[in-house]
Formats: sequence, C-alpha cells, structure tokens
Amino acid sequence: MKKIPAILISLFLIAGCASMAQERSLKNLPNNDFSVEIPKGWSKPKYTDKYLITKDGAFLQYVLIQQRPIDLPYSHTKKKLNKGMLPQEAADVIIDEIASDRRIYNFNVIENAPAIIDGHEGFKILFSYKDKKGSPFKTLYYGFISGDSFFNLRYNAAMRHYFEKDIADFERILSSFKVVKDKAALEIASER
Amino acid sequence: MKYFVLIIAVCCLVAGCAMSRPIPADQTLTAIEEEQTLWRRAQEEQDAINGSGVLYQDAEVENYLNQIAAKLQINSISPDISFQIKVIKDPNLNAFAFPNGVIYIHSGILARMDNEAQLAALLAHEMVHCTHRHSLRALRSVKDRRQVETATVRELAQLLGITGAMSSISSYTREFETEADRVGLDLAVKANYDPREVVKLFELLKQEIDSEKIEEPYFFGTHPNVRQRIENINNWLAEKYRGKTTGIKNTDEFQSRLSRLVLDNARLDLRQGRFFVAQRAVEKFLALKPDDARAYFLLGEIIRQRGRQDDAAAAIKYYEKSISLNPSFPEPHKAMGLIHYKDGEKRLAKKYFESCLLLSPDAADKAYIQGYLKLCVANGEG
Repeated sequence: MKKIPAILISLFLIAGCASMAQERSLKNLPNNDFSVEIPKGWSKPKYTDKYLITKDGAFLQYVLIQQRPIDLPYSHTKKKLNKGMLPQEAADVIIDEIASDRRIYNFNVIENAPAIIDGHEGFKILFSYKDKKGSPFKTLYYGFISGDSFFNLRYNAAMRHYFEKDIADFERILSSFKVVKDKAALEIASER
Repeated sequence: MKYFVLIIAVCCLVAGCAMSRPIPADQTLTAIEEEQTLWRRAQEEQDAINGSGVLYQDAEVENYLNQIAAKLQINSISPDISFQIKVIKDPNLNAFAFPNGVIYIHSGILARMDNEAQLAALLAHEMVHCTHRHSLRALRSVKDRRQVETATVRELAQLLGITGAMSSISSYTREFETEADRVGLDLAVKANYDPREVVKLFELLKQEIDSEKIEEPYFFGTHPNVRQRIENINNWLAEKYRGKTTGIKNTDEFQSRLSRLVLDNARLDLRQGRFFVAQRAVEKFLALKPDDARAYFLLGEIIRQRGRQDDAAAAIKYYEKSISLNPSFPEPHKAMGLIHYKDGEKRLAKKYFESCLLLSPDAADKAYIQGYLKLCVANGEG
C-alpha cells in the first residue's frame, strides 16, 4: 500500500495513462454490495483488481474502497473484527493492523473519531506515516461494519501538496457511497 | 516484509555458495574499499532505522546492554570495534548486526529471556558476526561467483538494490551462523556466564515458535534451523565445557532492569493479537511489581480483546484492581465504561465514561466517549 517498488510505480504510471482513455465509473460495482460515484479525472488502473482509483498515479494519491468479510484475518496482526464491535473497537483493530505493518514508519494517529457513512455508524482515522525512504504520507480512513462485511474507504496521498489537493474529491466520493444490498438495513426493515 | 527483497536477492546469490576467499578472522579491521562501502551502506541503513520511530528509548536499558557487550568484547578477537547495542520496538523474535558493530535487538526477544546469561549468549552471537566480518565475507563470496565476477561490489549492490542491510542477519549463511554460535558460546563462557543458559535460550525461543506457530525469525536464520543449532550447542557443551556447570546468570538484576521493557513489549504483543504471549509477559512483570496499575489494566485489555465467553467479567476484575491501585489512571475507567455500555448497563457506563473524561479531558478518543455519554443520556440515564 505505502511503499511501492519502482517497477510497480512504473506499472502504475503506464497503466494509469492507458486507463485514462477508457475511464469508467465504478458505480454499482459487480460482486460488491456498494456503489460509488467517481469524480472526473480519477481512474482505476488496469493492473489491480482492487477498487483503487487515482488521479496522478497511486504513489501520489489514491482512493481505495474495500468490502471485506469481517472474519477475514488481517496480515499484520492476529486480530479480527466481529459483528458486535463498537466503531471505536473496530477502529482500534485497524490502527493496530496499520501500526504493525513493517513498511510503515513514524506512524502517527492524528484523529480517531466516530463517523457516519451512508447512515452507518462507523469511524474515521486520520494518520500520517513515512515509507522506508522517508517520504511522508497521510491517510484518511473511514470504516464501518454492516452485516457480515467491513466496508472501508481510504484516501492516501503524499503529505506535501497532494493530500490537500484532492481531499475534496474524496469527500465527494465518500458522500456518494451507498451500500446497495444493505443486509443490516433489510434486517431492521423486516423486524418492523 | 521489510527485508523481503534483500532476503530473496541474497539467498539467490549466497545459498549453496562455498566461500572461495575467506578473510582470516584475526585480520585487523583495516578499511579496505569493500568494507568501507559496506560500512557506508550500513550507516545509511542505520540512519533510516534510527529516524523511523522504531527505537525503544530507554537509556538505562541501552547502557545495561552495552555493559554486557563490553564484558564479552574483552575476550573477542577485535577489541577495537565500537559496539553499540540498540533496541527496536518489535515483539517479533529477532536481532541483527551491522558490520560496523551496531547491533539491533527486538524488544520481543529481550522480553522472552530469563536472565543475563541468555542475553550474553545472544549478544555474543551477534558480536561474532561483526568481529568475524561475516558481511564482508558474504559479499566477497558473492563477488567471487563466476557469473558476477566482473561486477564490482558497488555495481552488484546497486543492481540488486541491496543496501547496507545486506550486512544484517538475513544474509548470513549456514557456516557463518554456526561460527557465530560456536564462538559466541566461547565468549559467553570466557565472560564467566553459565553456558547451560545458551541452550536454554534457544529452547525457550523454540518453544514459543512452536506454540505460537511463528515462522522461524531471522535470528534463527534458515541455515541451520533452530533444532540443529540446539544440537550443535549441546555437542559443544559436552565436548568443550563438560565440567562447566556453573556461571553467572544474574537473574534478579536482569529482570529488574528489563521489567519495564517486558511490559511495553506485552503491549506490542497485544497490538498484534498475540494474547497468550502478552498475558504471560504481564504476569511475569506482575511477579516482580505486583502493585502496578498499568499492568493490571493491560491484563484486563488482553482478556477483553481476546473476547472469549466470560472474558468481560474477568477483565472487569483486572480493571477494578487497576483503579484501586491508581484511581487517577483514566484508561481502566474507559474500559469499564465500554464493557458496561456494551452490556446495556448505561448507568454504570455513564459513571465510568464521566470519570474517564474528568481524569483525561483531552483524551485522544474523547469524541467516542462523548458520543457514548450522549446515548447514555438519551436512554434515560441522565
């Protein structure tokens, strides 16, 4: 995520340029229970299957949107999310996961607070870090648990210039985010 | 992993490669060009590590480790190397040495040790990598291979992206590891440490590797594996130190000096979700300092986060103990609030959240706590 080897960066740039020409909206993504509107100028590089979009290349900034099963283990810790967790507890699991990533240096949580995403109670974490070469980055990470899934949207960018430059786009992406097969909402509706 | 590229590159080049031009171990450390390059790269790597926020900052612990290293160095073949021992905040079992004498030890491996003799064994092993110039010898063996014969050391390093970290443990071959174990054992014995503790260290760590299903860490290297190394040490003890059944352990001093590190490292183990290891470490700490409020809080956190049935009730006992030992410590108040909040006990939750905010009005997570309090009030507990 953070330190991208040189070859991968080249791929990012090459693939990024190619996909600009065939920019596509990520609305109603297949195999996922969410939709999102992507502002003009952002595109999904072809080399990744993840829902990662960038404007100037992923080393400079990207938005990553994920839906992951809550029982899927994390790679840097043995911790897991669970359905009964409060947003704060979920945020702590994510912070521990990021802090345990050995590619992350000088990790610093700037803000950890509750947040509402598409009507769901969740969290937002703003943190900074450096990669091994000492380049500083900043990430704004939103997440919430709904049903059996953990949804998260993160905006990662080089701290200098890029983070501030495109944060408004990320806020637009975030506000357009919708869980389209909202199992939790369906359960509540059926209880009524 | 941090050294993934390095490990792959070095393994490809060094594996199975016999050293064709060994440097005599007793050769003095003259600054030959290759070594200067290595040292420069080592320094770059160290600068990156030192500036990355991963160092464990405790001057007393560092001084203690350096004192042990100094004792061991008296009998080493290179008394001129200026050894510097530093600790990295990392719960994983690892240690590595740079050719210029700077040795990094993970807090995880220190926290598992029982006494100074075990520490001496680890330090002696790492010091031998420096005194016996294993980095330079590894680099030369790479350079001497036919397919890279024309490349200079610098070109080779640049080609493979190998930095000064090449000098770290990950690049050492089977024979270097064996040499470090054998000579390290000699150094520990000459410094009058109990040689039986050397094998105990390996056995202790092996147990944890097995119980936690940990991939064998760098300290053990890949060649030879830890089982073989235990066997080697037992053989050397039987052959060379048969009558040597005593020696310094310095258990009490060691445990006293490293007790805070044990607790700090338990926090890192908890962060990684290694609940059992973290719990064992806190219990070890509490055996020494039974009135530490932070340790009881941490024990409560381990139990709460582990999340087994009835764990909440067990965690509450530890939080209560923590509060009784230090009523102004805000963390257990918040934890008690969370447990009661999730349990639907909003009145109790409100009480603890309020006391937490009172004790720590600028808590980093106060937005959450204020949110819980609002909901408690909305639920008629105002």
